[in-house]
Parts: sequence; C-alpha cells; structure tokens
Amino acid sequence: MIDYFFRKLLAIIPMLFIISIIVFVAIHFSPIDPINYLASPDMAANAANLAALREHLGLNDPIYVQYFRWLGNMFKGDFGYSIIDGTPISKIIAMKLPATFEISAIALVISTVFGIGLGIISAIRQNTFIDYFGRIIGVIGVSIPQFFFGIILIQLFSIKLGWLPMGGRLQVGYKTWWDHIPDIILPSVALGISMTGALLRYARNSMLDVLNKDYIRTARSKGIPEWKVYIKHAFRNSMGPTLVVLAFRLPILIGGSVMIETVFSWPGIGSIILQGVSTSDYPVIMMTTLMIAAAMLIASFLVDILMAILDPRIRFEK
Amino acid sequence: MKKQQVDKRSSLALRTWSKLVKNRLAMLGMIVAIVMVLVSVFANLFAPYDPSKIDFKSATRAPSWSHLMGTDKMGRDVFSEILYGGRISIYVSVVGSVLGSLVGMILGCIAGWFGGKVDAFLVRLSEIFLTFPNMILVLILVAFVGQGVNNLIFIFFITGWMTPFRMIRNEFLSLREETYVEACKAFGISNFSIMFKQILPNTISPIVVATTINIANYILQEAGLSFLGLGVPVTVPTWGNIMNAAKSVEVIRNYWWLWFFPGTVISIFVLAVNFAGDGLRDVLDPNL
Repeated sequence: MIDYFFRKLLAIIPMLFIISIIVFVAIHFSPIDPINYLASPDMAANAANLAALREHLGLNDPIYVQYFRWLGNMFKGDFGYSIIDGTPISKIIAMKLPATFEISAIALVISTVFGIGLGIISAIRQNTFIDYFGRIIGVIGVSIPQFFFGIILIQLFSIKLGWLPMGGRLQVGYKTWWDHIPDIILPSVALGISMTGALLRYARNSMLDVLNKDYIRTARSKGIPEWKVYIKHAFRNSMGPTLVVLAFRLPILIGGSVMIETVFSWPGIGSIILQGVSTSDYPVIMMTTLMIAAAMLIASFLVDILMAILDPRIRFEK
Repeated sequence: MKKQQVDKRSSLALRTWSKLVKNRLAMLGMIVAIVMVLVSVFANLFAPYDPSKIDFKSATRAPSWSHLMGTDKMGRDVFSEILYGGRISIYVSVVGSVLGSLVGMILGCIAGWFGGKVDAFLVRLSEIFLTFPNMILVLILVAFVGQGVNNLIFIFFITGWMTPFRMIRNEFLSLREETYVEACKAFGISNFSIMFKQILPNTISPIVVATTINIANYILQEAGLSFLGLGVPVTVPTWGNIMNAAKSVEVIRNYWWLWFFPGTVISIFVLAVNFAGDGLRDVLDPNL
C-alpha cells in the first residue's frame, strides 16, 4: 500500500512539470510586456529604470533560464502581478480560491451523498416509485444547464419563498463561518446538480451489475441479512466504477463554478478568470489555471488512494 | 460474392434499426431532436417576427397570443429569437463535436496502431488536456483566440478530441492483435490502409455514441459561455445569448419568460440528444 501511495505521488510530479511549462509558454507568448507582470507596479512606473529592471529580472536571459527562475519564484510564493491593476497574483488567489473550494466541496458532498445514495436505493428497489424518481433526477441532472437550474432555485427559494439569500458570500454582520451557511446552500446545490445526476446513473448501473453477480447469491444463500448483503457485499464492490466517474467529473465541478459564481455573485476564482478573460489579463488567467490543475491532480490522487483502499487488487497492478 | 456482402451488411443495419425502433425513449429523443433541428433550420418559415427587429414600444411584454413567449428588453420576439438561435447553437455544437471526433479518431488510430513512444506521447497529451477543467480550458482559449462562431467551433474541437481518442486507441490496442489484421499484413497491405480501411470501421459505433453525447455537452457549454457573455458575439442570436439577459436580478425577478423559455428549450434539446445517445449505445454495443 505504501509502495502504491508513493508510486502514485511520484506520477504527479512530471504532470505538474509539464503543465507549468505550458502555462509559462502561454504567458510568455501572450501579447503582453512581461515587465508589467514580473515587477510590482511602483517599480515599473519609472521609465528610466525599465532597462535596468529588465536586466535585473533577467528578461534578456535565454528562455529556459527564465522558466526555472519563474518556477523558483513560485515556490517562494511570488506569482507575479496582475497586468491590469498590479495586485500580486498570489494575493488574488489566496483571497478567492477558498470561496470556490467552499462551494465545490459542499457541492461534492451533496452530490456524493444524494447521487450515490439515491442511485443505490434505485438499484435495490428497481422499478418502484423511488427508482423512477431517481432516474428522472439523473436525466435532468445531466441535461439542464447549471446556470438555468441556479436561476430557477433563486426564483423559487429566494424570490417566491424568501427562505434563502440570492447571492453574495460574506455580508455585513457575519461573525462566524456558520453564519453564511444559508448563502452557501443554493450555489452548492446548483453546482452539484450535474454531478449528482452523473453519479446517480453510474451508482445505479454499477449496483445493478453487482447485484446480479454470483457472490451476492452466495451471500444470500448463506442467510446473511439482506441489509448486510447490500452494504457489505454489494455496495463496496459497486463503488469502484462510480469513483472513477467521480474522479473524472471533478474538473467539471470546478469548471461549472465559473457560471454558478456569476449567477450567485459568488466571489471565487470563477470571477477572477472571467474578469481576466474579458480584460486579457493573461498572467492572472494562467496562474489561476495552474492552481486549479494542481488541485485537480491532488484530488485525483486522493481518489486513486481511496480506490486502492476499496479494492485491494488495484494496489498490486503495475 | 459482392452482392452477398452487401445483403449481409444491410441486414445488420436493419436489425440495428429495428432494435432502435423498439427503444421508445431513444426514438422519442431522436424525433424531438430532429424536429427541433428542422424547425431551427427552417426558422424563416416558422418565425412570426424578424428576430433582430428592435421595437422599443413593445418591450418586455409578457407572453400572449401575439408574442407566444413574450418580448425582450429591446422588443424582439423571444419565440422568433429562439427559433433562429437554435440554428447557431446546433450548428456550433454539431460541427465542433464532429471535428473533435475526427481529430480524436485519427490520433487514436495512430497511437493505437504504432504504440510505443507515439502512443505514450499522445496519451500524456490527452491526460494533460483532461486535467484542466473543460470550461476553464475553453475560457483560456477564448482569451487567446477571441469570440466568434468559428472561433467557438475551433475551441470545441481542440477541447473535445480526448474522449474519442481514448476510445479508439483502446479499441485499436485489442483489435490490432486480431487474426484478420495479421492476414492483411501478410498480404502486404500498407499500414495506412489497414489502419483506416480495415480496423477503423470496427470502432465506429462507440464514436457515434461519443459524438452524440458531445453534441449535448457542447450545447450546454455554448449556452454557458454565451450566458457569461464570452461565447458567440451578442449580436448573433443563440440560445445562450438570449439567456444572457438573465444575469441581472431584475430580469430574474420580473421577466421570467426571458430566461424560462430559452432555458427550457436548451434542456429539452439536450435531454432529447442524451436519450438518443443512450439508446444508440444500447443498440450498437455488441456486448449487450
């Protein structure tokens, strides 16, 4: 297991390396003057210093030297500056990334609990009312545009019923994290809908598959109580394929946040990227993307470990 | 000899077709999708108004008999806009998806057939593409290439080749060990011909399914991008652009028809395409 853990961990490093090269090249060849991005605005303001500054920052060095210096700076926490307003990118990311992870994580919890739970109940009670209900949710989840679902939620729960706020994250008068739970609910549900749908469909199909296996019949014939058959024998074996879908869909969750954050005016990375795209702030876009890609790699690593725990066979594969 | 072959093929096609007809949900999906495509293509025959005609005197009217889905802030008829908008939305997603599948198919053939370093390189490349959230990849590309109908198609095919690529590659890895491939090699048939003429036709059904499902995804992505104001320029009506108005709370609160109808139309179309895609998968999968 420890061997497997380290093998998977090591596999991430070349990927991160390649992605960082892509990001560097993309910034390098974007039509901006790198001095605006590498130096803080007060340093770059004085035109007389520019040539000296260029030399100091090593912009006349060969590109691979520049790349490694850039990479080294990143490890020191220096991500460069936004070319629009000169804010350090590390500061922007540190401020906005938690907001996105907050709704993404809660959306993930909601969709895992509802998607897998409902999917499994649907499979156990095949062709009953709850199964039809589950299948409808599954199909709607993958077919409805997330932002449209978000708008419907706002219309229903904020405007018509007035139960939950329409958007925003930290409002005046909030003291603890728990105060903004009502703000989180609608965006997370809207963000999680497509994931819920997808997980539900896969959990149901894979559970149905497993329930037809011989070992389930064996377990039943041994007189094991029905709930124990479902939980200990069927559930654990049906999780493998479902977790693959989960890992595969994680990026979609983050991608969807761009739209959901717009609908609910949620101040996360979606809003940074959007602003970056409309103002052509390439460094901000690319650095944010780099962070997201790194987060995705770590998440998929965690899913790999989880799968190895669930299915011992995976640990011994080459 | 040749005639027999033709007969055999048509009987397989017939069997597939009759299986598909029996799958009611898939048929329903197909019919709905085809009807929506036709209505959009012939929008000029069905639309009661010119979708770009601005008439401030009749702005933001609620749905009525003269304006079935109401009018927007500039007094344009929403029903006509939706009909015309379907043209662009469907065109972008279909062409993007087909191009993506084509590129994925060719790369998949190459990777699966030659294996080794070429394969390792292409697989790595697809993994890197898959690490980025698709929506964010699309946004980055929008930042670099700009907005526009053709730019969007280009972006969709750049970001959509990975799934077909992986499917074809995996099929190739197993198919290239088959006896008929060895026979072809023994006859001295060229690599190119074996790859594209002998093996590729056997992998076509998963590609058809993947392309269909991709169309549904691209409809959703186009809608999302245009909703954000980064897809097709606002002057061109698309389903997403009509919903762009719903970014403001005022519209959500007071003018429900401006977001409810386009959103529902998008959902129904995507639902129909997904049903058709699922049905095709059931019918075309020989393992079932």
